[in-house]
Amino acid sequence: MDRRDFIKLSALTAGAAGLAGCGHPDHQLIRFLPEESWIPGVATWRPSLCPLCAAGCGVMARVMEGDAEVVRNGRTGLLRMGLVKKLEGNPAHPVNRGKLCARGQAAVQIVYHPDRIRQPLKRRGERGTGEFEPVDWDEALSTLAARLKQVLDDDPAGLAWLSRPLRGGKRVLVERFLATLAAPAPVYFELFDESVLRWANRLSFGREQMPTYTLSVANYVLGLSADFLGTWNSPVAQAIGYGEFRQGRPGRRGKFVQVEPRVSQTGANADEWIPIRPGTEGALALGLAHVLLNEARRPTTAAGTAGERIEGWLQGLPEWTPEAVAEQTGIEAERIRRLARELIAHEPAVVIAGGAALAQTNGLATALAVNALNALLGCVGALGPVRFTPQPESTGLAPPHRTLRALVQKILSRPESPVKLLLLYEANPVFATPPAWQVAAALDRVPFVVSFGSFLDDTSILADLVLPDHVFLESWMDDVPESGTEPAVVSLAAPAMRPLHNTRAMPDVLLDLSRRVGGRLNEALPWKSYEELLRARFDALARRAGADADAFWKQALERGGWWSDNGGTRAAAPRHAAATTRQIRYQPAEMDGSVEEFPFHFLPYASQAFYDGTTAHLPWLQELPDVLTTAMWGSWVELNPQTAERLGIRQGDLVDVTSRHGTLQAPVILSTGIAPDVVAMPVGQGHRAFTRYASRRGANPISVLAPLEEPETGALAWAATRVQIRRAGVGRLVLFSGGLSRFPHPEER
Amino acid sequence: MEKTASRINDDLLRPVLETSPRFYLAVVLVGLVAALGFVAWGYQIWNGIGVAGISRPVFWGFYITNFVFWIGISHAGTLISAILRLANAGWRRPVTRCAEAITVFALMIGAMFPLIHLGRPWLAFWLFPYPNERGLWPNFRSPLLWDFFAINTYLLGSFLFLLLPMLPDFALVRDRARGWRQRVYGWLALGWEGTPRQWHRLETAMHIMAVLIIPVAVSVHSIVSFDFAMSPVPMWHSTIFAPYFVAGAIFSGLAALILAMALLRKLLHLEEYLRTEHFSNLGKLLLVMSLLWFYFIFAERLTVWYGNDPAEMAVFRATQSGPYAPLFWVMVFCNFLLPVPLLTIPRLRTIASTVVAALGVVVGMWLERFLIIVPALAHKFLPYSWGTYAPTWVEITITVATFAGMVLLYMLFAKLVPVISVWEWKVGRHPLAEQRAEISPAVAKTVAPEGSA
Amino acid sequence: MSRRWGMVVDLDRCTGCEACVVACRAENNVPTVGETEAARGRAIHWIRIERYWEGEFPNARIRFVPVLCQHCEAAPCEPVCPTYASYHTADGLNAQVYNRCIGTRYCANACPYTVRFFNFFHPVWEKPLHLQLNPEVSVREVGVMEKCTFCVQRIKAAELQAKAEARELRDGDVQPACAQACPADALLFGDLNDPDSRVAQLARSPRGSKLLEEVGTQPKITYLARLSWSGDGEDR
Ligand SMILES: Nc1nc2c(c(=O)[nH]1)N[C@H]1C(S)=C(S)[C@@H](COP(=O)(O)OP(=O)(O)OC[C@H]3O[C@@H](n4cnc5c(=O)[nH]c(N)nc54)[C@H](O)[C@@H]3O)O[C@H]1N2
Ligand code: SF4
Ligand code: SF4
Ligand code: SF4
Ligand code: SF4
Ligand code: SF4
Repeated sequence: MDRRDFIKLSALTAGAAGLAGCGHPDHQLIRFLPEESWIPGVATWRPSLCPLCAAGCGVMARVMEGDAEVVRNGRTGLLRMGLVKKLEGNPAHPVNRGKLCARGQAAVQIVYHPDRIRQPLKRRGERGTGEFEPVDWDEALSTLAARLKQVLDDDPAGLAWLSRPLRGGKRVLVERFLATLAAPAPVYFELFDESVLRWANRLSFGREQMPTYTLSVANYVLGLSADFLGTWNSPVAQAIGYGEFRQGRPGRRGKFVQVEPRVSQTGANADEWIPIRPGTEGALALGLAHVLLNEARRPTTAAGTAGERIEGWLQGLPEWTPEAVAEQTGIEAERIRRLARELIAHEPAVVIAGGAALAQTNGLATALAVNALNALLGCVGALGPVRFTPQPESTGLAPPHRTLRALVQKILSRPESPVKLLLLYEANPVFATPPAWQVAAALDRVPFVVSFGSFLDDTSILADLVLPDHVFLESWMDDVPESGTEPAVVSLAAPAMRPLHNTRAMPDVLLDLSRRVGGRLNEALPWKSYEELLRARFDALARRAGADADAFWKQALERGGWWSDNGGTRAAAPRHAAATTRQIRYQPAEMDGSVEEFPFHFLPYASQAFYDGTTAHLPWLQELPDVLTTAMWGSWVELNPQTAERLGIRQGDLVDVTSRHGTLQAPVILSTGIAPDVVAMPVGQGHRAFTRYASRRGANPISVLAPLEEPETGALAWAATRVQIRRAGVGRLVLFSGGLSRFPHPEER
Repeated sequence: MEKTASRINDDLLRPVLETSPRFYLAVVLVGLVAALGFVAWGYQIWNGIGVAGISRPVFWGFYITNFVFWIGISHAGTLISAILRLANAGWRRPVTRCAEAITVFALMIGAMFPLIHLGRPWLAFWLFPYPNERGLWPNFRSPLLWDFFAINTYLLGSFLFLLLPMLPDFALVRDRARGWRQRVYGWLALGWEGTPRQWHRLETAMHIMAVLIIPVAVSVHSIVSFDFAMSPVPMWHSTIFAPYFVAGAIFSGLAALILAMALLRKLLHLEEYLRTEHFSNLGKLLLVMSLLWFYFIFAERLTVWYGNDPAEMAVFRATQSGPYAPLFWVMVFCNFLLPVPLLTIPRLRTIASTVVAALGVVVGMWLERFLIIVPALAHKFLPYSWGTYAPTWVEITITVATFAGMVLLYMLFAKLVPVISVWEWKVGRHPLAEQRAEISPAVAKTVAPEGSA
Repeated sequence: MSRRWGMVVDLDRCTGCEACVVACRAENNVPTVGETEAARGRAIHWIRIERYWEGEFPNARIRFVPVLCQHCEAAPCEPVCPTYASYHTADGLNAQVYNRCIGTRYCANACPYTVRFFNFFHPVWEKPLHLQLNPEVSVREVGVMEKCTFCVQRIKAAELQAKAEARELRDGDVQPACAQACPADALLFGDLNDPDSRVAQLARSPRGSKLLEEVGTQPKITYLARLSWSGDGEDR
């Protein structure tokens, strides 16, 4: 295109709305602020939702007019459109009340990422090489429709869906789509999926969901390996509560004790930080309960069902004396007694266990023990710090890790993969599963893989066809937060801006596909667009709330969703009957690798910037100094200085971290906040492919993990691997703080 | 051996009038190195100042070190020659012009560094107070502005101070040269005829300049020290800095002068003019300055150590025993442990050893500037932001190039101007040296009894 | 009465989550410099969470201290600047006029808090990342010093808004990006000259102190001490 063309095109596009909509049925349905009402330089605010973790925070997007260079139908032009400039928390949203975490703040970079997939792609080179060629949407969709028909004619069991756990409308759509086709249920996968805690809550309290911790009412918080102010559960909601807990109540400042093998961002805030032997957090909970039951004479029945689940509870946990527990955990008996006394002296007190504590083979027993302890402390319920957000619909999922493994085994079970067509959406199991699970090998054997992703990552690079989704700010968004809020919430947001590239919303592609495939699908999925589906869901909510449907919808769009105080009623929350009345016996955690050969406990943790790795492609987060180590743009291994000295390792040295399942290399950062027999490493880097900013950067701790699992839920015990370490040379650390760690401390150097 | 006036003229004017091919070769080689500096600077302007090694928190590195160093070196000349002139030290005569030339060239080079180190050197003129219709003036509270005035005043003064006593010598060359040289030197001589009136005016002007230039020189390095002392940076924010810097400047300047004289002596065969006594006398001065320097650094370090302020102690430790300790102790060796014995023990105080001591001092004083700037910036108040500094090839090239530039300017100077003031030398050895009426070299040249003597 | 903008940082609330750090970057067009330059100490963060360790394992204790420009009343960065690029506004901000900065970096040396950041190279936003840039904040070029402005564009916008609505500026009308993002409400911004503003009230707290007060910079940020627990749940 020459310059004159370009000018003509620009002139054409600047005025008319048509261009962006070319070939997009969805665009006719999206109601954007009309161009003529943009005032240059004046911002409008549009609600949206943060897609980056299960917390489901509400977002307000600041939109201002700008000129975006867009490609449509092979032509480039400038399009004057509303561009999202900044994300803030939605002040009205009950989960995050106007706040966002660091990742939520950075999420806007997803939209403008230079390596976003800008149009449908089909594979050209060998699988996994990342060589694709552009195709147009029609061709891509007809290819897929043909494939789909073929698979369905053959055997619908040959269709598989793999994504992160879905909620709200997308879950309804996908599950109905598959069910109508008689295809297997969707496979959901997420590394930090918390199914252990959900299952434990179901057993203890009849609620299969994550709890909401209302810290603002607590006087005492005992954290067990849960990074609840950083990445775990609903961190923004919890941090808001934490601020209140500390300084929001004149004359009353809560005490916070954190027990964990390595100081986390959360643990750094504790009044008292106590190291514990990994995998023994449940023993500590039982020891504390023992003291409460025996020395403080709390009735065993006070813990209700939660207590009954634990073997020996009703007898007062005779085996779990502080002395016995001290033996296991490495925490002195006297200290355990003191903690127990403090718990009851400062009610309401709450114990929060999560993260690595539950990512053990005994994770479920640990969660149950903590649940019982909380029940004994009387902190569970409408007035205590542990609450359950009413859920407008069922939250129970088939245990994700187990279903992914089943899918892999199914594919690998026969010489020719029984799965013929795999639909992949926002999941990166090749990156996030231990090598022994063989996910990559399995996916490689599926004849046709379709990805809806916006980026090529370790998994989607295996795709044969890429149908890029709009990103969140360009999409209709909805969500049903499971925790972090007291009222029930169904979040909703219209697109905050026009799509920047030639992409289409995944739900609309599924609807389009169903029209192409026809038959039963058309009846099961009667909606013309995802917006219509959402409208139908909200109409149902409105009926339940007894509100006028139009007003209800309009209000939800303005506010960013519906929540029970704003609709007038609380949604009914179904209670599940406990699945079993069996008692669980606490057993020591099983570790992979002998102490002799693999002397160190390997502790991966969700990183502040990247969580499970899904945001490693954002340069703002790559350059965000990890708050504890100040490291940027790479990964590292944390080591206790005494251990390092013993092994002749210095800060910045490269070490080999070897487990029975693999070896990785990373530079060492010394930290006095880690037990001498533990090495810790953040998850998030070490992608084989994930845009220019994250590809082949750092190392992936998951790549050395053992495939141990919690037996009842099948959840990966990602904190149960032992490793050895050896110096392997000089590494490269990028640290923001060149200084030493102590506050004006003249003795240094 | 008594030299005749014509021998003197021959000896001292030969370099100006005759040029060997070796000289051209040397000029080209040294010039190439100096030109590399401009290439590096161009590279830095084109790509951004980031190609240098400075970073947060060490925002100043080699460039400001060089700035202070060269401004320090400049104190060799004018200050020394002015003092010696006023004190009427007779042995000064062959020394003054070498020294004054060092001042002018070192200032020219030193003054480039504030421009080189700018992030946006193309806007360097915003540093200067020039009238503009926006009424925008630079900030007169900024020590960088004081630098601007101090350095420019000093440069102008030193230039005049160098130029004035050259007039009679230019006239001398004019009278001996042919062709273009005659024209050029004729122009440079500004019509010097050696009349008593002219001698009288020259003498008066030299006296006034000598009196004026001393406070200017002292103020220049005081102000350079204020660049540091006016910032609340640990170990910069010090009242001792001004005299400490001035002493250091004279110290390094003397050393540079000794080195320059030794080179000229060798290369221009001036053994009979620059004699042991000159080196010995300058050596004694150098010794005094070495002791003074040690006193200052001792006083500075002692009070910091005794005061035991945590922020200052961090810098103190970093220099005394931390990562900068090797440089620190090399500096102490070069500035004190080496020169003091060499210059104290009369048996050791030869020309060669004086030169060795001077070489040590030049190195040591460069390190001193570096050690004032870098460790302090690397260890400011909040340890979280501590850092380090390492120069890149750009800074190293520019630094080396400025040394080459100094040599080049000096070579060209020695080629264009008699480096030893011919008339002053003659005056010095004239029996009635102090009687003005008789000291006209022009007269000496024509009527002095050289043929008859 | 003229305003005097200031901040209170409650160290007892700050969790080290760094939401403020990314928020400031997004609001103020703070460039990323990439791995190589970051490794050379050239990463730019107008606000940072300093962390300090105390004690050895197992008694390790950590403190987080958010550090941004303190907008000192007696700002050492101001008198040293030869071009008035670093200067004091009537409402007490330490302002940075990027256009006037010639890059001497003198101010950065003089700042005791090391909160001034320099553009060693021309900043790069790989297309189309540049579409995110906040049009209300200028992008700084190579050779220019930059630092926290107390989100002056938000102050101006709020003042204009108040004027348009013909009313006085209210406490809380101005929220810098970092304070707006902070989940724990550890950062609070407002007018110190208004004795009733929340920030002025908190600045009078007995927990309050200034960072490096002894240097004499008269910072306008008050830090409220992180407390340790006395065992009875009372403040100490
Ligand atoms: N042909 C034509 N002519 C025009 C106009 C037009 O549209 N077309 N527009 C007119 C209008 S509206 C205007 S406002 C004028 C603008 O005309 P000018 O006022 O001349 O503005 P500029 O060309 O932007 O730059 C002025 C100079 O100031 C320098 N400068 C920037 N900051 C500083 C500082 O802090 N100190 C100093 N000392 N210098 C600084 C810049 O480097 C630049 O060299 O032009 C008018 N003339
Ligand atoms: S916690 Fe952070 S990443 Fe998760 S939804 Fe909220 S803002 Fe997004
Ligand atoms: S904190 Fe530093 S940059 Fe900010 S006003 Fe004070 S001295 Fe200047
Ligand atoms: S770097 Fe810029 S703002 Fe700082 S002193 Fe120099 S000119 Fe002034
Ligand atoms: S006040 Fe504004 S500019 Fe300053 S640190 Fe906070 S967000 Fe950044
Ligand atoms: S956002 Fe608030 S709590 Fe988080 S690091 Fe910043 S100041 Fe601390």
